[in-house]
Amino acid sequence: MLEVKNLVKTFRSGDTTVIAANDISFSVPDGQFASVVGRSGSGKSTLLSLLGALDLPTSGSIVVGDRDITKMRDHELIGYRGRSIGFVFQSYNLVPNLTALENVMLPMEFAKTPKAERIKRGKSLLQEVGLQDDQMGRKPGRLSGGQQQRVAIARALANRPQLILADEPTGNLDATTGKMIFDLLHSLSRKEKTTIIVVTHDLEIAGKTDKTFHLDDGRLVSNNRS
Amino acid sequence: MNPVGRGIRNAFRNGVRTGAIVIILGLSIGLSLTMLVAQRAVENKIKSVKSSIGNTITISPAGFTPGSDANNALTSDDLAKVQKLAHVTSVAETLTDRLPTTGSSAPTFGKFGTGSDGGSSTSLTSPITLNAHGGGMGGERFFISGGEGGSLPADFSLPVSFIGTNHPANLTTDYSATIARGAQISGTADSNNALISSQMAVKNNLKVGDTFTAYSAALTVAGIFNTDNQAAQDTVIVSLAALQRLSAQGGVVTSAVATIDSLDNLGNATSAVKSTLGSNADVVSAQEEADNTVAPLNSVKTVSTFSLVGAVVAGAVIILLVMVMVVRERKKEIGVVKAIGGSNLRIMGEFMVESLTLAVLGAVVGLLIGVVGGQPVTKMLVDNSTSNTTTSTQFQRPGGRTFAANAEPNGGFGGRFDAGLRRNSAVEGLRNVKAQIGPGLLLDGFGAAVLIAILGSALSAGLIAKVRPSTVMRAE
Repeated sequence: MLEVKNLVKTFRSGDTTVIAANDISFSVPDGQFASVVGRSGSGKSTLLSLLGALDLPTSGSIVVGDRDITKMRDHELIGYRGRSIGFVFQSYNLVPNLTALENVMLPMEFAKTPKAERIKRGKSLLQEVGLQDDQMGRKPGRLSGGQQQRVAIARALANRPQLILADEPTGNLDATTGKMIFDLLHSLSRKEKTTIIVVTHDLEIAGKTDKTFHLDDGRLVSNNRS
Repeated sequence: MNPVGRGIRNAFRNGVRTGAIVIILGLSIGLSLTMLVAQRAVENKIKSVKSSIGNTITISPAGFTPGSDANNALTSDDLAKVQKLAHVTSVAETLTDRLPTTGSSAPTFGKFGTGSDGGSSTSLTSPITLNAHGGGMGGERFFISGGEGGSLPADFSLPVSFIGTNHPANLTTDYSATIARGAQISGTADSNNALISSQMAVKNNLKVGDTFTAYSAALTVAGIFNTDNQAAQDTVIVSLAALQRLSAQGGVVTSAVATIDSLDNLGNATSAVKSTLGSNADVVSAQEEADNTVAPLNSVKTVSTFSLVGAVVAGAVIILLVMVMVVRERKKEIGVVKAIGGSNLRIMGEFMVESLTLAVLGAVVGLLIGVVGGQPVTKMLVDNSTSNTTTSTQFQRPGGRTFAANAEPNGGFGGRFDAGLRRNSAVEGLRNVKAQIGPGLLLDGFGAAVLIAILGSALSAGLIAKVRPSTVMRAE
């Protein structure tokens, strides 16, 4: 269970204080597929950063399983991010001088998974997301956008995380490829029993998720079950 | 792939940039190494010169100038007081004079060794010939610069030097001379026995037992010595007492060398000699002479040390700027790696390896530059330094007589010529600095490269630590 309580995030912009997350509270049960929608600047990406322990909230708590990640120290957060969270970004963010397989193996290396196991799981994940064997040795620059996003999804799943956070995963893809990527995420969440929270502009995609959170000016304005 | 492998791989992400960095870094490390080579070579030379100093004190008349009419010579009575000082084991006294060859015409400028009495001459002809337009003996160039508008007469030959000494063995040692024929003369006996060089013997067709004329007296060739020293080839050695008598300079001494019982007592003994002789004499210990001799090398050492530090700092700054640029360029990537579980330490390690890889590649290029450039650059620095400083330095003739290298016009030709010989000899000794690149120096070179890499990546490590993983989201 992911439980967010009274989450506030403010930051300074010149002389003004911007409230990026304003007293947000919600929960997502394990294995659910949830989406966050809202206009640009509504605080979607900030919320995702906070959920992924990439940034610290000004106040409030985020409890994943039985641990409040806002109380964790820096080194604990590194471990938490590596083992419990998987990230999928809009612009893929693969390491450019590593091959597709090496990119997938990277989080496992940080989690100190033995090399043989890393290779085995890395190949298996890449096959699962639909990458051909001959594409596994290619660097990101030689893969299409859709293929890079598949590699990013495989990388996010590498350490069998409790939670996958996806920020506009289909934003840079054409409609057909975007739908394929979304379906892939959906099916993998079912198969791996992973909680997925996806930030999207696409209401059609949001409509297919188990839960949708609407944000406006940093506030959670509705919490709908699809 | 481990952080080391990834760091090395990162160093080659952009081949053109890596190549440019390696070349620039190579030049910097090469310059560092070249300066290190020069510094070590000069240090070794200084050490060698200082370790070879003897426990002696050179005494010469205060303000003595060649060709001067002033009678400012020392006397044997002065030196007898020195002989009695504590720690002084012996005093080798010498009297120097110069005689023109009988029948030789003197040029219209300068003073040309007319002898202490102004009229003596010798039947000997100097074995050294002179080219008035330069390009003289042994490849050396000697110029006539004693006056303006002068010229050499057709029958001119160089004056012959006469040295009287009470320790002829010391003198032959100073000249690196060996008695080839005949025997060593006595320094204490007042006899007309003389030692001449083999070149002088050939030039004048003399052999052991033959006689020649000087100061209107007949001198006998008691021994013939071999030497490469050109000043010595032009010199006749007789006993001190004999030259004082022949030149009518009873008790006069133009220089002396006092030997002290140990190096530990050299300083105190030098002070005692200075105090005893007062302003009558210039007293210089071997230690002071060595210090004066290596002064030009010390300036090379200083220049090379500053250049070394400058080059190392330049290398570190190059790496630092490159790594700062790389960190800024890869800020998003660092954020991603942190987001998926990479620790600061691990990412810093990768950048450190990348920096080290560039530095080691630069070191390889730098070592090549150092190996090729070490000796020529050292030689150039030493040559420049010695040629800049020796023009105003005094050099000592083996007999103990000191001449200013830039002798004043009154100094006369003989003095200038002799000083030139000694100068060249002293300078050549200093210039003979061997720059060698051994394993120790190579290790030092690599050590410098590692130091450069560590210094250069320190700031980038700080920047890496500051990159927050949320950077990756903001970049979205």
